Amino acid sequence: MSGAVLTDRRARLQASPLRHLDPLLVIPPLLITALGLVMIYSTKRTQLEQLGEDPYQFVKRQAVAAVLGVVAMIAMIAIDYHKLRELAIWGYGVTTLMLVAVLGIGADVKGAQARFDIGSIQIQPAELVKLFLVLVLAGYVAMHREGLDTGHLLVALVIAGLPMGLIMLEPDLGTDLVLMAITFTILAVGGVKARHLIVLALAGASVAVVAVNVGVLEQYQIDRLTSFAVEGSDPRGSGYNQDQSEIAVGAGGLTGQGLFEGTQTQSAYVPEQHTDFIFTAVGEELGFVGGATLLGLFGLVVWRTWRAAVLADDRFGMLCCVGVLAMFVFQVFENVGMAIGIMPITGIPLPFMSYGGSSIVVSFACIGLVANVHMRRFS
Amino acid sequence: MNEHRVRVSIVGVIALALFSALFARLWYLQVAASGEFVAAAQSNSVRTLQEPPLRGRIFDVKGRALVDNRIASAITIDRKITDEERGLVVPRLAELLGITVAEIEEKLDDPRVSPYTAVPIALDVPYETLVYVSEHQEDFPAVRGEQLAYRRYVNGSLGAHLLGYVGEINEDELAAQLGKGAYQLGDTIGKNGVEQTYESELRGKPGVRRLEVDSSGRVLRTIETRRPRPGNDVRLTIDLDIQRVAEESLAQGMLGARAMQDETFKEGYKTYAAPAGAVVVLDALDGSVVAMASNPTFDPNEFVGGIATPRWDQLNDKSGHFPLTNRALSGQYAPGSTWKLVTAIGGLQSGAITPGKSITDKGRYSYPTDPQRFFDNDNRIAYGSVNLARALTVSSDVFFYTIGGDLYYRQRRDLPGGDAFQETARAYGFGALTGIALPSEQSGRVPDAAWKEQINQANPAAFPYPDWLPGDNIQFAVGQGDVLTTPLQLANAYAAFGNGGTLFQPRVAAEITDAAGKAVSTPEPIVIRQVPTPGRAEIIDGLTGAVYAPKGTAVEVFSGFPEGIVSGKTGTAQVANKQNTSWFVGMTPAAAPRYVVLAVVEEGGYGAATAAPIVRRVMQAINGMPLTEIAVTAGGGADT
Repeated sequence: MSGAVLTDRRARLQASPLRHLDPLLVIPPLLITALGLVMIYSTKRTQLEQLGEDPYQFVKRQAVAAVLGVVAMIAMIAIDYHKLRELAIWGYGVTTLMLVAVLGIGADVKGAQARFDIGSIQIQPAELVKLFLVLVLAGYVAMHREGLDTGHLLVALVIAGLPMGLIMLEPDLGTDLVLMAITFTILAVGGVKARHLIVLALAGASVAVVAVNVGVLEQYQIDRLTSFAVEGSDPRGSGYNQDQSEIAVGAGGLTGQGLFEGTQTQSAYVPEQHTDFIFTAVGEELGFVGGATLLGLFGLVVWRTWRAAVLADDRFGMLCCVGVLAMFVFQVFENVGMAIGIMPITGIPLPFMSYGGSSIVVSFACIGLVANVHMRRFS
Repeated sequence: MNEHRVRVSIVGVIALALFSALFARLWYLQVAASGEFVAAAQSNSVRTLQEPPLRGRIFDVKGRALVDNRIASAITIDRKITDEERGLVVPRLAELLGITVAEIEEKLDDPRVSPYTAVPIALDVPYETLVYVSEHQEDFPAVRGEQLAYRRYVNGSLGAHLLGYVGEINEDELAAQLGKGAYQLGDTIGKNGVEQTYESELRGKPGVRRLEVDSSGRVLRTIETRRPRPGNDVRLTIDLDIQRVAEESLAQGMLGARAMQDETFKEGYKTYAAPAGAVVVLDALDGSVVAMASNPTFDPNEFVGGIATPRWDQLNDKSGHFPLTNRALSGQYAPGSTWKLVTAIGGLQSGAITPGKSITDKGRYSYPTDPQRFFDNDNRIAYGSVNLARALTVSSDVFFYTIGGDLYYRQRRDLPGGDAFQETARAYGFGALTGIALPSEQSGRVPDAAWKEQINQANPAAFPYPDWLPGDNIQFAVGQGDVLTTPLQLANAYAAFGNGGTLFQPRVAAEITDAAGKAVSTPEPIVIRQVPTPGRAEIIDGLTGAVYAPKGTAVEVFSGFPEGIVSGKTGTAQVANKQNTSWFVGMTPAAAPRYVVLAVVEEGGYGAATAAPIVRRVMQAINGMPLTEIAVTAGGGADT
């Protein structure tokens, strides 16, 4: 137990936390991103060529976003995550203000005001909220070692509820569901009492019921949600997306119809296929082999995130990893689930795959956060 | 920490469960139950229908419609009609429309109609008939009542060469247009004239309807509808009134020539063939084409809805003298004495002459080294002592032969100014395309020693002499020999000289507007280059003299014209094995020209006899004077 040995070991570890960077965490997102670029090209090229436009234009923009994402990931790795705790409060404040602003001046996309257009760059503050909510909520919950009493729980709920309320006004149901999953998981793991959790779950359910009935949700959102539940209702109406995506995935079979050969994909049967429904293109063109491989890669990411949570040095680090894990699991399950007909349709991007710059940047930043916690577990 | 461990583990278990569910469902869809989804994908298909956009209109400079669209209520039959349906539908339609079965069968088999569109059976059908057909679809399978847009050339053949026509895109055009706005077979495209060069403005953007159909072709739903965007309108620089007079005058002048005896033909009585000609009217101040006529001509309306093959062959047959050719910019002719403007400028540039210098014209000229070879004035008329202005007025060949000989001497001795003819000609735009926005323009030819050597090497049998000889330069001086120009080039050169030295790229479009009339773009005049105009005052004096002074070559034609209205130059170009080409280039007002009017008639005889009266009549229209019809009487007039 000599002090010299301890100092030496510490110095060595502090000098090179990079030695503990987890390749199984960092590499799969890069592979998924690459596959995403190919599939975005596949879904958009026919359409763009018919319009006489550059068939690579979406791929190029997504590639730029991916590079920004990797930069964000590196940045998140570089800063010790303990420092992120304070920085995140600022980030949380700024994004909340952006959410307020976007309601006033944001661009209207498919009936929802969700983003800023700054020249050709579009920023969706709701995506940024995911990252900052994880950090701030994990930070707050970690302060209370003995678990949260009712007062603390209410504060935590206000922290989560403020951006969620603003996002509900856009309206962006999908992102709110992701934030709910994050919040619920962090609170559950962070020590909220079992009865509180039950109350929370019930409250969440009744909020959903009220939202559907009081008209906070737009009619199209309700239609899509309910057409999932009512088997075969109106096959050419709101259930259309679901039917077409299921047909596309099903037609892929074991090995798929071949890249760029999927009839559903190439004739653009599935709406929003380069964004929320990108999994259908993988399913149709690359088949079960491709789809399962993709799920496997996501599984790797989730496993290594879970492992980082288990090995984390402190509560804050652990809760950060848990929050990110909840985010990825929920997004993958909901997104792939709706493409294969076991979840209702909501606008949630598939991380690293779906076309959309804010989503990919935030997803990489989250990977960076987990890698950071994992790397500095001895500090 | 232990309790947290437990909770994190629970989260892990939940995540594992959710992923397992995804795998299971994916296995079920893609492996266990894949067959039924493959079938569903096959029965599912999208049909994309293109809706053609309404093509933009073409107006004259004052906004009068030259080309617009006629919307006709039509009964059409789909190409996919089965023989069985056809047997039922055709007699029913014949009765409904009051036409015979044979007429309908003929239309159905008409090769002119695109195989990619429905076949129009009857146009301008009463509204009740359309309603009847659509309400009794079960009796009329594959029959539809729809609105079809037809291109309409409002003034018939007027301006046909300028406007061009439209037709179904062919495979070459499709290949050329690939990626530039998604044309497909069956689409309409501009084929000639402004319809071709302003295609991208006029066309608009097709609408698209994507329909999802089931395996039996029934429409299940509309996936996407994009309305077509109508094309932009093009306002031309053409003045409809002047264009009409130009075409009439050209036709009259040609008719007149055909009644006129060719006095150069000594072996008997013969009139001029005058099979073809052209008129160009330019605004000298900005290069705008005010009128452009070419004869023989055609009616673009004949192309609407497809032109029959026999008629197309006829339009492209030699015996009809190729009415589709726009001779104003595709015809290449020896310019004859109209070229003397270029020779005069070249002579002054070289220093071979000065504006005041006189030469004694004894009616013939020979080059010092070859004194027995004579170059004669027309009929060997001797004009005595002539200076530059007088030489232009009376069209003394000897004056210009002398310059040609002088410059040849300088070329041989490498003295300065030897290449002044060629340099001046090229500066004034000869031997190169003007770049006007009309198809099929030719570049003409400015001959020189290098060119002569080149054609000799390429074809020694036809061109035995590789050397640039004195005669080449001397003939060049009077617009004979190997020089070729299009009417547009020559008019444009006169315009550049007339306006004080600015050579414009001739333009036909004044403004592009969208369908609502909002300006999209206003093409600005394009200056090709500044050109020298030495001795401008003397040259204009000479050209004015040709119209007003005693013995001026065109004095008789313009008798009665007030002073100062017109200056100009006649030209009579000799062509091997053909009668003379008749030229006149006029400028108005005489001394500060605003407009240049050029007429040329192939095998039309003397410039003063045939071309000058055509120009006179157009000049009358431009200057608001009463028009003098061109008499069809025998007559001649002398000129070189």
